[in-house]
Amino acid sequence: MNVITNNSINCTLALEALRDVIDPEIGLNVVDLGLIYQMDFDEENSKINTVFTLTTQFCPMGESITEAIKRALENAFPLMEVALELTFDPAWNQEMISEAGINFLNQ
Amino acid sequence: MFSGNNNLVKNTSHKVVLPFYLFAAFAFLAATILLFLSTGSLNQHYFNPKILAITHIMALGWGTMMILGASHQLVPVLIEGKLFSNILAHFSFVTAAIGIPLLAYGFYVFNMGWPAQWGAILINTAILSYLGNLTLSMIKRKKLNVHATFVLTAALWLFVTTLVGLLLVYNFSVPILPTNSLHYLSLHAHLGIIGWFLLLVIGVGSRLIPMFLISKYSNTKLLWVIYGLINAGLLSFIIFFLYVPQTSFYLISLATILFGIGSFGYYCLHSFKQRIRKKVDEIMKISLLSVIMMLLPVILLFIIIVWLLFNSVNPQLVLVYGFVVFFGWITAIILGMTFKTLPFIVWNKVYHLKAGLGKTPNPKDMFSSKIFGLMSIAYLAGFIMFMVGIYFANNLLLKSASLLLLLAALFYNWNVLKIFFHKS
Repeated sequence: MNVITNNSINCTLALEALRDVIDPEIGLNVVDLGLIYQMDFDEENSKINTVFTLTTQFCPMGESITEAIKRALENAFPLMEVALELTFDPAWNQEMISEAGINFLNQ
Repeated sequence: MFSGNNNLVKNTSHKVVLPFYLFAAFAFLAATILLFLSTGSLNQHYFNPKILAITHIMALGWGTMMILGASHQLVPVLIEGKLFSNILAHFSFVTAAIGIPLLAYGFYVFNMGWPAQWGAILINTAILSYLGNLTLSMIKRKKLNVHATFVLTAALWLFVTTLVGLLLVYNFSVPILPTNSLHYLSLHAHLGIIGWFLLLVIGVGSRLIPMFLISKYSNTKLLWVIYGLINAGLLSFIIFFLYVPQTSFYLISLATILFGIGSFGYYCLHSFKQRIRKKVDEIMKISLLSVIMMLLPVILLFIIIVWLLFNSVNPQLVLVYGFVVFFGWITAIILGMTFKTLPFIVWNKVYHLKAGLGKTPNPKDMFSSKIFGLMSIAYLAGFIMFMVGIYFANNLLLKSASLLLLLAALFYNWNVLKIFFHKS
């Protein structure tokens, strides 16, 4: 699933940082898992708005994953404020896993 | 394109869940030690103090405590809402943790006075508080899905089972039932095995197996059919037991339940076929094996009923049946699912504030896979040898097999404690 963004260079950097955030239940990073929907970079207000989801609304690891996403982005962009928006519309499904993700799961 | 800013539902605290896991692990060890010391009792009738004590440690201390712990953790996932009260959950643990050893002690020394009576009262209190907690969590959520319905119904059956158990314990001292307690043993046992364990395993398994396999398969309609079949089978058994005491009628109940189990097998098979994660890990293999193992007690029960049609009860077959249920099917599920749930609970506790700040270990690396492999080998070899040993009343086989099961429990406890004391 492609991530919607208004700044592809910053988005690439952000996604690279987010590849270190693993969903421990599945063992795959949140980017290849397809959990990141949208990343907008508001240069004027030094703010990153990230829309993301979880594999299930009541994921036992949800809190950890959310905090990990926030910290990874704050580390990668120390001068910017990180705002996260959790959405379940659309809900995550297996089709959102990237090809690299599927290959990883089958290793 | 994207809408809503949904808040996360808070997980049940690890402080609620972990004591149940620890208690269950020690209970498994205690049961295997007693089994090793009591192999001589297996040549006697199944209604004897040591076998009753071991069965109750396995059913309540091991199976039920582990499931109660896991279900407190899984309630938010299953009912899609928060657990109503952590205090009620702690209360359930404390009352059950005192009640189960008291009841087991009562059976072991065959003192049906205060140890067994107070044990049974405390266990009933624990189950009632669990049932209340579950019901209130669901009422608050106002949404009942098929998985939650399975769990709630299973908890209701568990309460009926422990209530009947309480009556049976008191029936030893005061004649409150029309006949002796031995007569009601199969009713009490099957309320627990079918109503509690089978319904709960199917309700939780049907949610977790596709989740862990990352499967695209979903079939809610089939799950409702399975729910109806299992409950209809159990209700018909209760009616036949109380009002139509003819053995051949039990085959109707058994066939209904078998059809339900077969349908669940079909559900699991399709989840497996439509999985995205093609490589299935060792833990999932044990869990899937336990689904197949569900059929073994049903086949044995069929043989027992057919045998009963022409002869009297075959005690050795009944013992094999009980062993297959508690040391086979239920133990295989728990051995697998512990390592699919416990590492995540502890990981969340230890790395909750460290996630995203650097590399954190994978939860599956928090226990030794080598020890897990040894545990699986010791368990499978011990299980098969013990089954054969009971049937042929071979003491040497029973002793060696129980030693292997004890080893499996030691390996299991080793890994559980390794996860428990994991530090970052």
